[in-house]
Amino acid sequence: MREIDLFTEFSQKAGTKIDPRDIKIDDTTLRDGEQTAGVVFANEEKVHIAKMLDDIGVHQIEAGVPVMGGDEKEAIKKIASLGLGCSILGWNRAVRSDIDASVECGVDAVAISISSSDIHIEQKLGKSREWVLESIKSCVDYAKGFNLYVSVNAEDSSRTDMEFLLSFARTARDAGADRLRYCDTLGILDPFETFIRVKTIIDIIGIDIEMHTHNDFGMAIANAIAGIKAGATYVNTTVNGLGERAGNAAFEELVMALKHIEGVDMGFNTTLFRALSEYVARASSRVLPTWKPIVGGNLFVYEAESKASGVLANPETYELFSNKDVGLERKVMLGKYSGVNTIIYKLNTLGIKISRKEAEELGEVIRDKTVALKRALFDSEIIDTYKSYKRKSGAGKSAKKGGK
Amino acid sequence: MAMAKSKINVNIIDTTLRNGEQTAGVVFSKHEKIRIAKMLDEIGISEIEIGTPSLGSIEREIVSEILNDSFNAKLFVYCEAEPENIEYAVKCGAKNVVINISTSDIHIREKYKKNKTWVISKLRETIKAARKSKLKFIISAEDATRTELGFLLKLISIAEKKGAYRFRLCDTVSRLDPFRTFLFISTISNVSSIPIEVYNHNDFGMATANGMAALRGGASSMVVSVGGLGEGTGNAAMEEIVMALKYLENVELGIETSKFREIAEYVARASSRAVPVWKAIVGTNVFAHESGIHADGVIKNPKNYEVFNPAEVGLTRQLVVGKHSGSHTILHKFKEFGIDLTDKQANEILAMARDMSVDLKRHLFDKELMYIYNEYKKKSKKKKEKLEDEE
Repeated sequence: MREIDLFTEFSQKAGTKIDPRDIKIDDTTLRDGEQTAGVVFANEEKVHIAKMLDDIGVHQIEAGVPVMGGDEKEAIKKIASLGLGCSILGWNRAVRSDIDASVECGVDAVAISISSSDIHIEQKLGKSREWVLESIKSCVDYAKGFNLYVSVNAEDSSRTDMEFLLSFARTARDAGADRLRYCDTLGILDPFETFIRVKTIIDIIGIDIEMHTHNDFGMAIANAIAGIKAGATYVNTTVNGLGERAGNAAFEELVMALKHIEGVDMGFNTTLFRALSEYVARASSRVLPTWKPIVGGNLFVYEAESKASGVLANPETYELFSNKDVGLERKVMLGKYSGVNTIIYKLNTLGIKISRKEAEELGEVIRDKTVALKRALFDSEIIDTYKSYKRKSGAGKSAKKGGK
Repeated sequence: MAMAKSKINVNIIDTTLRNGEQTAGVVFSKHEKIRIAKMLDEIGISEIEIGTPSLGSIEREIVSEILNDSFNAKLFVYCEAEPENIEYAVKCGAKNVVINISTSDIHIREKYKKNKTWVISKLRETIKAARKSKLKFIISAEDATRTELGFLLKLISIAEKKGAYRFRLCDTVSRLDPFRTFLFISTISNVSSIPIEVYNHNDFGMATANGMAALRGGASSMVVSVGGLGEGTGNAAMEEIVMALKYLENVELGIETSKFREIAEYVARASSRAVPVWKAIVGTNVFAHESGIHADGVIKNPKNYEVFNPAEVGLTRQLVVGKHSGSHTILHKFKEFGIDLTDKQANEILAMARDMSVDLKRHLFDKELMYIYNEYKKKSKKKKEKLEDEE
């Protein structure tokens, strides 16, 4: 771990105000999301996802890889022709024919991607650093000839020697690139390291930076935010974090973290988040976990007494944003950890009024039942449990009376 | 400064059996609770939160049974601050407790409908009961990140004076990012001598990053759970924290990581929650490579796209053939099947495989690749015969 002085300096920036107009989201669900092993979208699905993203307010959509041709190219063409409010970007290797394919699709922006780390340059590409810089120069120049917005992607930036990464960024800038995409391809940075590296590039080269982060160690969102704190202005996201291996920075998580933690409200229509996430989950044949941050079906479902009693008194005790903000519902369920307040409330919603004493006794029965069933109870089971409890306690009372 | 102490002394306390089970809809059976405790113990987790004795007789029976068994790990039970709850803990045979109380104004006002004085006296009474029964105790401040700092420091100093084992700071509503976490923790750890523990939640996907940032800020312990299982979005995932410590910070906890997949699967089944294939560290897709660029890179050298070997967490590497595959993957894949293809054959098979993948909207199974291969051979044979006929 690094010296503390640096971190103290960073953390003092923790509260620095960021202007929402400076931050832009470039969503790559259709490109890096689809590149996930086992995921294929139909063209109609791609178009639908693009429209939803545009409705929500995303600034740019990375629509695919034009040079793949066939259906892929058709989908990109179609999306570029929809007349959406956002920019449409095509992904390219640093090869002129790739850019030709992008131009044929009618996109207004291109990403030109090439590895910057020695391990990738030597072992994957079998080339040299000089060759990489030459390719950038030639391709950026070529793309600029078509009047396109150009992002140069430094693949595996995080394992790239800093001096060379600066040369890479300088070459891109001098060739006329509009931004540099910082790719933490393997998800190996933590937020502090990210901050140092991104800030170094911005301070020395002064080019717009886009963050492309991966979640291999669970830090995709934190690293994207660290990049923004260091001065990056674009973030490359995917819906549900869909992406290779452990995935990318999740669109919905990033937007909400910016809004509720960093105070950066980009004015997105977040109420469509759940619908978008569900759609992408279905199209990618991946069930949305009920605990998925921001959009999981269980996020506003309360069972444990400590939380439920707080939320019932005032949702702000446990919620930074409301379920309606993201298109979800708030619910109370009864299970092993439910207590008196939760039980009284739940039965009341089912049309049954009970006393605290009754709720205590019923709690014991409900707990035993949930442990036996290994799950929370359905509403019909709750009503049934209550009825048989009533019958028993009624029988107990009359037995006592009879004894008198 | 405070930083130095975290480097060597990182502790993790696993709460899969307590907060994990507290997740809405999740219930473990007695057998499962015991099994999970044993698995955690076997891989070398040093502290485990096993349950909440005040919940009722059934939980007490399970907790007692675990406490009567033999473990290397230190076992903790969980209590909301209330002297009566300490009695339940003692009855189960507990030696270590976590005493939890909300400390933020909003919780005190809205949830407890009390004031700060009440919180202090409730805490003191409960500590008194714990000390009387000679329990070791952690004080846990719920919603600490929305708590007025002066009040929080006062509670910390009470905990210190009364001999608490640690002080736990809970980011209950995920209010912080890593930089704010660092600032928060370092501010506190610079003025207190008690070991600090953090409890992070994943509402904005930053539980792991915040936990790691807290360590940099001077915390020495983190609350984790298997797969991040916990209320709402869950907690910092045990496997992510252990691997991040190892590979991002060079801190080796000596935990047997090769059992991570197995434990994740067991907890997933017991909690009726499948492990997402993309779950960081333990998802089955984490070492699956499809796209031409990635698969090609991995074939040449796994380090191109992998930080650690899949076997280290009990997984295997897979090359998947689908829409984004390249010819190198096809060559490699068929070599595994014992078939050597020429570049031309690989390219032709690739085109067929891509079409099929787009049509099926998924990657192809090995069997399907073989069907394609057989079809391809038939076709090229026919072509050949046709050519010969024409001759």
